[in-house]
Amino acid sequence: MIRKTIVIENKLGMHARPATMIVKAATKYRSEFRIRKGDAEINGKSIMGVMTLAAEYNSELELIADGVDEEYLIEEIAGLFASKFGEE
Amino acid sequence: MKRLKGIQVANGYAVGKAAIVSRPRLQISRKQIGPDEIEQELQRFQDSLDKVKAELNLLIDDYAHSRDNRDILTTHKLILEDPEFIANITTLIRKELLSLEQALHQHFTEVIDLFRNMENSYYAEKSSDFEDVAYRLLSYLTNQGRDYLSGLSEGAIVITENVTPSGVARFFGRGVKGIVAASGSRNSHSAIIARSMNLPFVARVANVLETVSPGDELILDGYRGEIILDPDEATRSEYRKLLVRETEYHEKLLSLRDKPAVTSDGHQIRLMSNIELPLEVEQVLANKSEGIGLFRTEFLFLEREELPDENEQYEIYKKIAEQMYPEPVIIRTIDVGGDKLSRILNIEHELNPNLGCRGIRISLGHIPIFKNQIRAILRAGVRENVKIMFPMIASCAEIIQVKRIVRECVQELRDKSINCAENIKLGAMVEIPSAAINSFALARECDFLSIGTNDLIQYTLAVDRDNQSVEKYYIPHHPAVLKLIRMSAENAHKNGIKLAVCGEMASQSLYVPLLIGLGVDELSVSPGLLLEIKELIRSISYTACRELADKALELVCHDSVLEFLKKKD
Repeated sequence: MIRKTIVIENKLGMHARPATMIVKAATKYRSEFRIRKGDAEINGKSIMGVMTLAAEYNSELELIADGVDEEYLIEEIAGLFASKFGEE
Repeated sequence: MKRLKGIQVANGYAVGKAAIVSRPRLQISRKQIGPDEIEQELQRFQDSLDKVKAELNLLIDDYAHSRDNRDILTTHKLILEDPEFIANITTLIRKELLSLEQALHQHFTEVIDLFRNMENSYYAEKSSDFEDVAYRLLSYLTNQGRDYLSGLSEGAIVITENVTPSGVARFFGRGVKGIVAASGSRNSHSAIIARSMNLPFVARVANVLETVSPGDELILDGYRGEIILDPDEATRSEYRKLLVRETEYHEKLLSLRDKPAVTSDGHQIRLMSNIELPLEVEQVLANKSEGIGLFRTEFLFLEREELPDENEQYEIYKKIAEQMYPEPVIIRTIDVGGDKLSRILNIEHELNPNLGCRGIRISLGHIPIFKNQIRAILRAGVRENVKIMFPMIASCAEIIQVKRIVRECVQELRDKSINCAENIKLGAMVEIPSAAINSFALARECDFLSIGTNDLIQYTLAVDRDNQSVEKYYIPHHPAVLKLIRMSAENAHKNGIKLAVCGEMASQSLYVPLLIGLGVDELSVSPGLLLEIKELIRSISYTACRELADKALELVCHDSVLEFLKKKD
């Protein structure tokens, strides 16, 4: 299991498009993927879950992957956050 | 007979039968299942998911031209593939023996409530995505509400809660005669489309869906913004006559399509169209407009989550440039107040946005965004029928700065070996009094000038256009405004360039002779009014227009100007 903490750097926060990008990327991998924000933890492969996090600019999230390809999954998802989802 | 009052959106009359267009409420007939039906129910679940996903894929292909729409549909597909959703429905069927329809209803009601109760209103709006998906699934399963437009017959008058821009286009395509909506406004995109298609439209008719039944006889009066339910014979024949007269008038106007906009004594005016949405180009072409005098690009930037990138803009500009070729297309760079973009750009709240950061000021404050737009326009202009116009220019320094930025953009494209219009024509909007007063210097720097009358009047007379309590102070024919227009025309001509008017005054028949007399060379009007204005131009003489304008300029008081104009009209 890998855990990685990231901060949302795109100004608009996790609106529909980033949420869609995260879920699309995560579902390519076999590992389980969860995202934690404060006390809430959701399935990172669920668009409903990711959108209900309502994570705004500057909020901190923990990415948790568990499975055979967990490193690749975390790498790709963390990369999406770092690229600010191609915004600005 | 009963009159229902709404607001005027698009002019015209229609007499016909009402057709109610609404997303019907779906009835779920069976709520529970027996234990022996579980497997069958789960199979139906799988089938419905496959079916609706296939539908979405088709739609995604259809919407390929708009990235926003495509993104929304992709999100909808992910909602259908959501593992938590699938697990929850499976549990509800297996453990609680709910029918598939009931399980879906229960699941989505909970999810939608969850979103609606969020504090951040932006996320709360996202409940509509889940509502849409739930409706698609349930509508497939219950076989209700599928293609609710299919029952629409030609010549019907559509009664609906609200209508989207593409909805207006679809209604038009199905040959409906008019639209009546319970909500909506004059300034919506739907309204613009309806006007450019000459489709009569009355909005905000209270309780119209409760009052009118399908098949009811109806008269729609788009000029007055009202509808008449179950009209008596006298009213009906009155409107039939109006309709005949209107049709004859339209036919007469259509015969002017191929004729030039020239006065009786041979003075040629270039008559172009203002557009806001790419859809309107159809109408512009149908009326044989001599180009697009103002393409407002705001629609690209508003009501969305992120700014359009260079390529998305390029695709849209290029398509319009090609459709209009060889006629010119004048693209105006973004002209909104900062308040409208504050979600995307970091702009402080302003007490007085009309005198704040808007138009060119926003662009110059956000150079990367501005350059994206300029490069997109430069690339779309390779066939040399595209020009750029800058809004809210107050001084020459801004035009000089803008010209430098355009040169930088040309160089950037050249460095990447991308073709573009290296010698694109640039123009300034004259809508701030300082620009008109200083128009000689401005004209020296520009390839054309275009007056935005709405703002020029607002800033000259210090009247907020949207403030009803000062409405009577908003006077287009005020001598001060007329002097600024004449001054701009003379200074443009001294520098060998043309002066256009793209504001509302150009679309008002009372003012057209006056503008021509003041020296305006080009008028850019709403596509739906183009032929009317052409007819007017063809019926007047330039000499008379000059005399009219000269006389109006001598009058001291605006009341006497109006009296004078009306007498001449």
